[in-house]
Amino acid sequence: MDWKELVLELVLMPLIAFVVGMGMVLMMRRIAAKLQRRVGPPLFQAFYDIVKLHSKETQVSHGLIHEIGIVMAIGGYVAAETLLPVPGMNGIAAQGGLIALLYMTMIPSLGLALGVGQCANPNGSIGISRALTAMLAYDVPLVIVIFGVAYHYGTTNLVDMIAQQQAGGIATWGAAEMPLLAIAGLFAMQGMLGKHPFEIYVAPAEIATGPMVEMGGKFLGGLFVMQCFQLYTAGVLYVTLFLGGGENWATFLVKSFAILAIPMSIAMLFPRYRTEDMVRLMWKWPVMLGLLGLAFIVR
Amino acid sequence: MSSLIKPPLGRETLPVAEGTKRTNPLANVFDELINFARSRSLFMLHYCTGCGAIELPPAMTSRFDMERLGIQPMVSPRQADILLVTGYVSVKTLKRVILTYEQMGSPKYVVGICSCTVNGGMYWQSYATAKKLNDYLPVDIYIAGCMPRPEAVIAGLRDMIDNIKHGKGDVWKDYYRRYDYYLGNQQRLFGEDWQTPTDVIGEARHYGLFGPQTLGAHTALLEQHQRPLEALEMKIEIPELERAHRS
Repeated sequence: MDWKELVLELVLMPLIAFVVGMGMVLMMRRIAAKLQRRVGPPLFQAFYDIVKLHSKETQVSHGLIHEIGIVMAIGGYVAAETLLPVPGMNGIAAQGGLIALLYMTMIPSLGLALGVGQCANPNGSIGISRALTAMLAYDVPLVIVIFGVAYHYGTTNLVDMIAQQQAGGIATWGAAEMPLLAIAGLFAMQGMLGKHPFEIYVAPAEIATGPMVEMGGKFLGGLFVMQCFQLYTAGVLYVTLFLGGGENWATFLVKSFAILAIPMSIAMLFPRYRTEDMVRLMWKWPVMLGLLGLAFIVR
Repeated sequence: MSSLIKPPLGRETLPVAEGTKRTNPLANVFDELINFARSRSLFMLHYCTGCGAIELPPAMTSRFDMERLGIQPMVSPRQADILLVTGYVSVKTLKRVILTYEQMGSPKYVVGICSCTVNGGMYWQSYATAKKLNDYLPVDIYIAGCMPRPEAVIAGLRDMIDNIKHGKGDVWKDYYRRYDYYLGNQQRLFGEDWQTPTDVIGEARHYGLFGPQTLGAHTALLEQHQRPLEALEMKIEIPELERAHRS
């Protein structure tokens, strides 16, 4: 591949992810509004929020690590986007693979933990300890799912996986061949997105949005950008593993938005679990489903 | 009441500092965009002081739905733009309101809901209630009524959105430019040793919001008794751990 083309892709892929992610944030808030019989926010609400937060005139920073933490949180996802193949653009997905992508999606949580740690706000510390516990909870089923998928396709290369799934139409999609793993993956995605019922670490009423408690202005703006990336990454990763990737942009976007609508709709219907209940649930049902699915694949 | 109708904003007292002249030809376009985004994205702080708070849930939920105007609740003062003061403020509450206000990032807007924030309302004769909110904080808009219905709240917030859109939502600068006046009123109520953890004078200096009335007799009084802020001592008190450590 020409190096100019590669540089263009590396710039374009995170940008597209950001724009699509803003659409996903809008969809999330619209779904919430519709379920509560409200009108919901206007079309460009996510954009207004981000512009407004970045144009705050006074700013409270708690030190260097606080700022670096936010950069890590966004940077981890920006790196992850270049590893996620989209129609027409592979970026460095063929070189990176699934394992590198998983590493990249862990960095934001750790960056956030660093940044929140310097704020020295007890609410923030409680929030981030809950967030890391939650990560421990959903990572076990996630790793089982990832292992099963990689074993099934015989590769960790996401480009190859998409090619294998697209070879035979819907019948060769991951969701058709490994339905149990696909369900376990949905569980893990719900936890990964931090939506209800696994939303204990933000807990707006009890610990005042947890990790975000000291984040104002540009810091919160950075986290809003991160949220766009997070939704995009989760949706596109699921589409790549189980729904045959994207043949073209239209089907790709339809699939990613449709798959994200599931956790978003579930989120608005449930109250939340406590941390220990979340760990118990995550280590019981999705792990059992995942192991069963694994048994069918390895047999 | 004249100060309520026309806040004495010292516009002429804000000279553009040397070397910060804006040379970007698109500066006005960006300003328009930022003002529009600010007007359409308002996070309001859940700090409800009095009975007016009961009118906010219907304004937020399905019947009147504030989110279609871009207004949504936020829980931490660092994240919020609007401070809603919904009802009477007792002297004790006012301290917390001021602490919260000073922690918010600018531009920030204060909305006084209910008659009690305008003139004390039915608590006019109370010794423990602050009568006029704009003596202690710069208030963007008042929504009068006892209590104003959700329609009135939303109409008031729409007025504020219009103000912000047209670049007139800069009442918060008044707090920095006339800090002496506000601090004087606060000292009258809370006593002379009143001190907040936020260094308002330092912020005014840092962000170029210094006015001729930022410093005065009251800030001089503040400086006399002001204790420097110290970081809290970090310690965990676990008796078992200490006993094990000692033995």
